[in-house]
Amino acid sequence: MEKREFTVANEYRYNRSGPLRWVASHILRYPWLPAATILLAILVSILTSTNSVLVGRAFDLVAAPGTTPTMVMHAALVILAIGAGQGIAQLVRNLAVEMLAQLVERDARDELYLSLLGKSLTFHGRQRIGDIMARATNDVHMLNLMISPGLVFVFAALVGLIVPIAAIPLNLRWDLLLSPLVFVVLFAITLRRYIRELDPVVGAVRERFGLMNARLAETIEGIQVVKGSAQERQEQNIFLENARKFRDMYVLQGKIEGRYLPLLMLSITTAGGFLHALLLYRQGAITVGEVVAYMGLLRLLGFPTFISIWTFALIQLGVASARRILQLINTETELDENPQGVAKPIRGEIEFDHVSFAYDGTPVLQDISFRANPGETIAIVGETGSGKSTLTKLVNRTYDVTAGRVLVDGVDVRDWNMASLRSQISAIEQDIFLFSRSIADNIAFGAPETATMEDIRRAAREAQAHDFIMSFANDYATEIGERGVTLSGGQRQRLAIARAFLTDPRILILDDSTSAIDSATEDEIQKAMRRIMKGRTTLLITHRLSQIRWADRILVLRRGRLVDQGTHDELLARCEDYRRIFARYGVAAPAQKQT
Amino acid sequence: MGWMMDGLESDRYDRTYGDLNLVRRVLSYFRPHWKPMAAVVLAIVCDSAVSAGTPILISWGIDRVAGQMSTATIALIVGIVLAFSGMAWVFNYMRWRISARVVGDVVLTLRQDAFAAVTQRDLSFYDEEPSGKIVSRVTSDTQDFSEVVMLILNLVSQLLMVLVLFAVLATINLRLTLALVALVPVVMGLALSFRRVARTVTQKARRVLAKVNALIQESISGIAVAKNFRQEAAVYKDFRHLNQQAYRVNLIRGWTLNAIIPLLEITVGLGTALIVYYGGIVSLQGLLTPGQWYLFVQAMYHFWGPLTSIASFWSQFQDGLSAAERVFALIDAEPKVVQVASEPVGEIQGRVEFRHVHFTYTGREVVLDDFSLEIRPGETVAIVGHTGAGKSSLARLIARFYEFQGGQILIDGRDIRTFDLAQYRRQLGIVPQEPFLFSGTVMDNIRYTRPEATDDEVRAAARKIAGGEWVDLLPNGLQTDVGERGGRLSMGQRQLVALARVVLADPRILILDEATASVDPFTEAQIQEGLEVVMAGRTSIVIAHRLSTVQNADRIIVLREGKIIEEGTHRALLAAGGHYAELYNTYFRHQSLEYIEQARLLAAQA
Repeated sequence: MEKREFTVANEYRYNRSGPLRWVASHILRYPWLPAATILLAILVSILTSTNSVLVGRAFDLVAAPGTTPTMVMHAALVILAIGAGQGIAQLVRNLAVEMLAQLVERDARDELYLSLLGKSLTFHGRQRIGDIMARATNDVHMLNLMISPGLVFVFAALVGLIVPIAAIPLNLRWDLLLSPLVFVVLFAITLRRYIRELDPVVGAVRERFGLMNARLAETIEGIQVVKGSAQERQEQNIFLENARKFRDMYVLQGKIEGRYLPLLMLSITTAGGFLHALLLYRQGAITVGEVVAYMGLLRLLGFPTFISIWTFALIQLGVASARRILQLINTETELDENPQGVAKPIRGEIEFDHVSFAYDGTPVLQDISFRANPGETIAIVGETGSGKSTLTKLVNRTYDVTAGRVLVDGVDVRDWNMASLRSQISAIEQDIFLFSRSIADNIAFGAPETATMEDIRRAAREAQAHDFIMSFANDYATEIGERGVTLSGGQRQRLAIARAFLTDPRILILDDSTSAIDSATEDEIQKAMRRIMKGRTTLLITHRLSQIRWADRILVLRRGRLVDQGTHDELLARCEDYRRIFARYGVAAPAQKQT
Repeated sequence: MGWMMDGLESDRYDRTYGDLNLVRRVLSYFRPHWKPMAAVVLAIVCDSAVSAGTPILISWGIDRVAGQMSTATIALIVGIVLAFSGMAWVFNYMRWRISARVVGDVVLTLRQDAFAAVTQRDLSFYDEEPSGKIVSRVTSDTQDFSEVVMLILNLVSQLLMVLVLFAVLATINLRLTLALVALVPVVMGLALSFRRVARTVTQKARRVLAKVNALIQESISGIAVAKNFRQEAAVYKDFRHLNQQAYRVNLIRGWTLNAIIPLLEITVGLGTALIVYYGGIVSLQGLLTPGQWYLFVQAMYHFWGPLTSIASFWSQFQDGLSAAERVFALIDAEPKVVQVASEPVGEIQGRVEFRHVHFTYTGREVVLDDFSLEIRPGETVAIVGHTGAGKSSLARLIARFYEFQGGQILIDGRDIRTFDLAQYRRQLGIVPQEPFLFSGTVMDNIRYTRPEATDDEVRAAARKIAGGEWVDLLPNGLQTDVGERGGRLSMGQRQLVALARVVLADPRILILDEATASVDPFTEAQIQEGLEVVMAGRTSIVIAHRLSTVQNADRIIVLREGKIIEEGTHRALLAAGGHYAELYNTYFRHQSLEYIEQARLLAAQA
């Protein structure tokens, strides 16, 4: 049983052991649709072949003596009826397969989304959002296309090859099978070669287009650097080089596509078939109508020949997409809900006991030990990449330690019930994420059912957000995001604080790395922060010297190691790295001050 | 069958160039390739002729064999059929091969032109155009553009074949031909009215899909919030609802699009029945041979494909022209920065002088009016003021990124408009607020502004910034890959790279827009040390956001609404208690030691 953080009841189980099996299990969830598709594809092909034969019969009818116009009329009506039947069968086949395709797209997206919700934050931290989006949109849609028209084409090509050929001995003569069978062999050989040749080139075309585009986008975004240092020529050369590489592949692709041999094979074997038919006709072995019927059946082979150009590409792309989606779904996630774990109110004691953590085998934190008493504020300082935010993420089990233990109220976090643990810890991230909903909905995000409007307002007041919210035309109903207002970093931060107020956590993880541009906003933010931290254990990553200055304790991190910990005065006295921060303010060590 | 569906998703686009002008200009790009183009046209004509010839030959053969034809004649007929088929394939191959090369070359030329035009634009152009749009003009639109020509050729070839067939048919039996022609409006009408419906459902489907994608994007971007608050179930419910809605809309679209081919098939069935009936009657009267009759049946199958592609031709053609217009608009735009001469610059001293400069971005709001300022060589000048006071405009004018409308800007007493811009800019060091890095290593990026610098020079430059300690902290030192747009480095590290760039390029004039993004205290300390190195010994114009910068500047220029209202040192201006004192209280107070020491008290209040 895989580990997941989120599950729903009655989830449909697909076979995830391989891309083909996975797609098959999706298709077979609705068995009557693929069954109907295959049966109808066969019917369509039979009707089409029948029509060719009937047209030939009409020729013989006219050639026979004593035929009246009424008889011709009847023959034409039968052809019309068969033609209409063929159209209708084709229509129903298309509707069935289209429904299947849309169902599979919907289900695959649902399955992928559900699995994403179940993945740990470790996974999400590692996965680029653009990559996930590409799979949830393009790749899922490729599955759709693989079924409709891809799968229809496969059936239609197979059936369209078999049925007309099978119609030849049934309606005409055995020996007329010669040419079409030769064609089938040649078709298989040349098509295989064609695909092998084209495949890598198509990939290369796409890759080179991507490279050209990526560099161009970079140049344009960095245009100020380019122009400011007069490097336009250099950029033009790079672009020309990339554009030329693309052109070469594009031309090569055109060359290979133009050389689609199966069409030539069909022409040659059709000519052979014609010769054969003419010879038999001259001997009187077959009638003129049979020649017409035979040529009509051979013409039907054009359809599978022609659509094979795209069919294989569609199926290949679909399977590649299925593989990518499945890869995402099947990524193991280390954490689960741990429903049997400890669930109780948290007091707020945090202890790191010789904690080490490695990410993909690279050590990030090494042998970290410290303790935070309930209600204390611990500031964490260090350079980017020193492991500050990783350290805080071990508390709410965004990640699990590689060695050592993280204890909350003396209990290892891995022994806590995840829902209980997380609901009592609030994390305010560096990049504050707000949903494109109203301000009220965003504040109430953690408690959508229970929070009243009054609660929301109170939280906003506590977070110093009320005033700026009221300055918007629709105050708390104001939409955030593309269709609404754009908020400044300081405003977003205060909304996040309000959001945390409402859930009243015992432990607070605050990644406060946004800076206020003006002093008034700075005042507001500091006020809000002081309030939210009051009475809660807080791990505070901050760039604000004032907060570092006044924290109960400071952890100094350097390349994943805890270099020192203590109060401001203690660190000024003994930690060289720490002193450097305050050096430009002329702050000397307190020991020197006393002398 | 794709051709029926092409161009359904296109948006309406207002055009300013006329169709004829556009087509003429598109063709001008093909003119240098007229020989291969002629070959393509020839190949198409031959292809059409031989393709139409095959059914004609077969019909001929059917009629002749009845009259006891010799084996040699049969062999001849089949031989010709075979030759025709082979030729058709070869002509088709030539057409693809040559046209791919022509299109490839034309697109290449066009991209080159478009990109050159892009690099010639001044920065006002980039303010107006989102970068994504510029990229798609250079890469996608250029491709669509040349495909217009191929589209026309394709249509011509298909029509040609139909015409040849019809002409032959008309000589055989006019009445039967006319019966066939009567089906044309039926097929065309069906195809066109279908496209109208298809366009509507496609646009609906596109909208709902955009909604689903937006929801996924947002909820996955905010997954940490959802998980921290255990709101996965609520998020999933929203998704499920929308996904189901998308399914329904897409099913309707899919069903609509899938209905057309079977419907057309039914018209083909109708046509075949018609030909069989009429042809049969006429044959009974002895006016039509079996071979000729056969030809009519064949023609029936050949002609409906081209007809449906005519239905989609117009919108595809318009799409192509729109793409062409976007490309030409890019190429034709007039640059606003104009140099009156291109005099060699020589080594500059770094005296910068604004004389009665008048400047506006848009023509409406005046940014600088009768603005004068002189900066001495080697001086460090800090510019302060509220947003919109004109700070960045000063910097941009010195870099000659924008054109000013009145007065003069002099560098070492020479008019900035007379310079060879490339030579001049090479002596400028520009550090934007958010330094931009290109994909590649840290070393590549330091070297960017001076590509000829050796590795040792780059190393030395990096060492000069804060003792080079920051380089040691990078995973691979100077060989560290910075990622796309420098994304793998922190904002602070990017700033350090930008400073090292300046040290290496050793410009005479430094224009620095100080970052407002906050950086961790350690890196901040390194940046401050680096700034001192960078500003030493050259004219430095700094749009100041750091308290330490204004404190150390030789002179502070206080701007308000495009005018200098105060200037002097930090101490003197603060004591004077004017606009600077107000700015200090707004932007710099919280960076001071006093503030840090009092923070606890401040927060406790209220």
